[in-house]
Amino acid sequence: MSQSFSHRVLPYGDVDEFLAGAVPFLTEGVAAGDRVVAVTGLGSEVTLREALGARAERVEFVEADRWYAHPSRTLADCLADAGAADGRGRRLRLLGEPAWTGRPPLEVLEWQRAESLVNVAFAGTGAQLLCPYSRALPAGVVASSRKTHPETVRGRTVLPNPGFVDPWDYNAACDRDALPPPPPGAEEMEVRQPDLYWLRLWVSDFAQLTPLPEEDVQRLLVAVTEVVTNAMRHGEPPVVLRMWVEPGELVCEVGDAGSWRGGPDVGLVPPHAGVGRFGLWAVRLLCSLVQIRTGEGTTVRMRLRLPAVPSGTPVHSNTA
Amino acid sequence: MQWASKNAQAAYPGRIRIHPDGQDMEPNWLFAKRPVSEVRPGDHAWLAYSGPEERDRVIGTFVAGALRSEEKVVYVTDEPAERLPGLGPRTRLDLCALTERRQLRVISHEHACLDARGRFDPDRMLRVWEREVAEAFDQGFRAVRLTTDHSWLLEAHGAAADLHQMLGCEHQVGDAVSPSTMAMAICQVDRHACAPDRLAALRDTHEVLVEVDPEFDDGVLRITRTFEPHGLRIEGELDAARHGVFAQELAQVSRPGRRVHLDLSWLGFIDLGGLHLLAEHAAERTTAEALVLDNLQTDVKNVIEMVGWHRLPGLARGRDRAPGTEGVF
Repeated sequence: MSQSFSHRVLPYGDVDEFLAGAVPFLTEGVAAGDRVVAVTGLGSEVTLREALGARAERVEFVEADRWYAHPSRTLADCLADAGAADGRGRRLRLLGEPAWTGRPPLEVLEWQRAESLVNVAFAGTGAQLLCPYSRALPAGVVASSRKTHPETVRGRTVLPNPGFVDPWDYNAACDRDALPPPPPGAEEMEVRQPDLYWLRLWVSDFAQLTPLPEEDVQRLLVAVTEVVTNAMRHGEPPVVLRMWVEPGELVCEVGDAGSWRGGPDVGLVPPHAGVGRFGLWAVRLLCSLVQIRTGEGTTVRMRLRLPAVPSGTPVHSNTA
Repeated sequence: MQWASKNAQAAYPGRIRIHPDGQDMEPNWLFAKRPVSEVRPGDHAWLAYSGPEERDRVIGTFVAGALRSEEKVVYVTDEPAERLPGLGPRTRLDLCALTERRQLRVISHEHACLDARGRFDPDRMLRVWEREVAEAFDQGFRAVRLTTDHSWLLEAHGAAADLHQMLGCEHQVGDAVSPSTMAMAICQVDRHACAPDRLAALRDTHEVLVEVDPEFDDGVLRITRTFEPHGLRIEGELDAARHGVFAQELAQVSRPGRRVHLDLSWLGFIDLGGLHLLAEHAAERTTAEALVLDNLQTDVKNVIEMVGWHRLPGLARGRDRAPGTEGVF
């Protein structure tokens, strides 16, 4: 492999700046025989296709909303793609423009975290990743891009990014704020026995009162079982399970009084195939979003997005 | 004909529906699948065994279980008592004494079910069984366990007319046993002795499918040996509380050079640790010894797909059972 992994940001103010960085990136990949993927919105796709002409045939275009569906799943899938490309003696070359608008703040935070973790997860692959960021995006999003990409692209020039933050430091900063306490009406149960059959009944009974689809209920059961099993094995009693509903989300929290320090081993980076356990990493795949706080007690808060339901449908509420 | 008849059938826990998808136009037969130790009076049960190991474990338990309690055994066979399945010296049963007091009745085909010209005579078998049940009642036995292996009939004949005769016989046995509070019967057939459709037709004249006793059953998780394919059936829920027993059973069936099939058709839940355990076990085995997951349910399949099959090397996806083949394949 002639080139090692790179992860660069392409800040742009207009179409010309976008094309000046994106087109050379893609055409170099086509010339080198890379697997070239462009994840963009529809507008950018049209612009890129025009600029690339016949070479666009060799580029796979993917709709950004579809690609950026779930931070942990996208990271895992993309990493698998990179590994597969490397295995065939090619590289994965990905132009990735996340869809930032319309996402709730917690999810934006997770995408920013994923941008940073990419630097750890893809190290050792030959993947070439270029992330265009429009200057019209919210200031916080643009600012975080400078912390999560080691290099910046301007036209054909690549510059080291002085604002780049070590991924684990960046990640720790994402979890600096304490979680808001559970609402007063949250259902609560202390877990005392290692047989979690009854716990799953309790969780699914609660979930059945919400519009959570059956498939997600099953995922939640697997996730909760894993987190409670960890708490019973490695944490300190009391192990407490809480559930409640927030607008658009079912929340399930497992807390224990242990003093686990967390650190890098909280399942943020996909394990290599066939090596090690996939516990917390899989929990992140199974839920819409997972928040972990460690130190004085451990809290794992799992969130599952609820589908919109027609008004009038009875839904479990913590204020009821 | 009814033997020591008192009341109707009890409810079956664990009835299984043979055509769960409703696609099949055959009748929706409901069977109770029972471990052999749970076969009870009134059961007219079916055992299509895959080989001697399965037959010996089921019939051995059936026969020895009766002889150790106050129950009578009527076995129609040309084998001598000491060569019956499960009655080897290890059982330490005094077969002479048991035969003497007529608790063990081994009756040859000639004396039980052949007519004067040596042809299969179902009516005669029914009469013999009726006589034996009546005698057991008078002797004060709590119950009578009847069994015979029909494979010789299928091998010897093979014409459709004989199938009709056998079906008629099975219906008669069923009519006699089902209302009984004393008699229970297991009809054995070597599943390789005839074509699957004929086997299914014979099976359908029974309302109970009998199988080996589970290796483990605590109400949440049940682990049962399967013989063809070789492996285990895992039912219920598997989590950290039962990883130990599961790993132990998995080790028991893992033999050099042999694939192990796990029938997961009734597995409702497996935790990530359980998947990890499977992957670890598979990693230690060669391709010829792969761990094959059969009849994966959607819920479990979704979780595996989310983790990614590529993260579980050594696990192979097996087949889904064709509808209507329970107790036949």
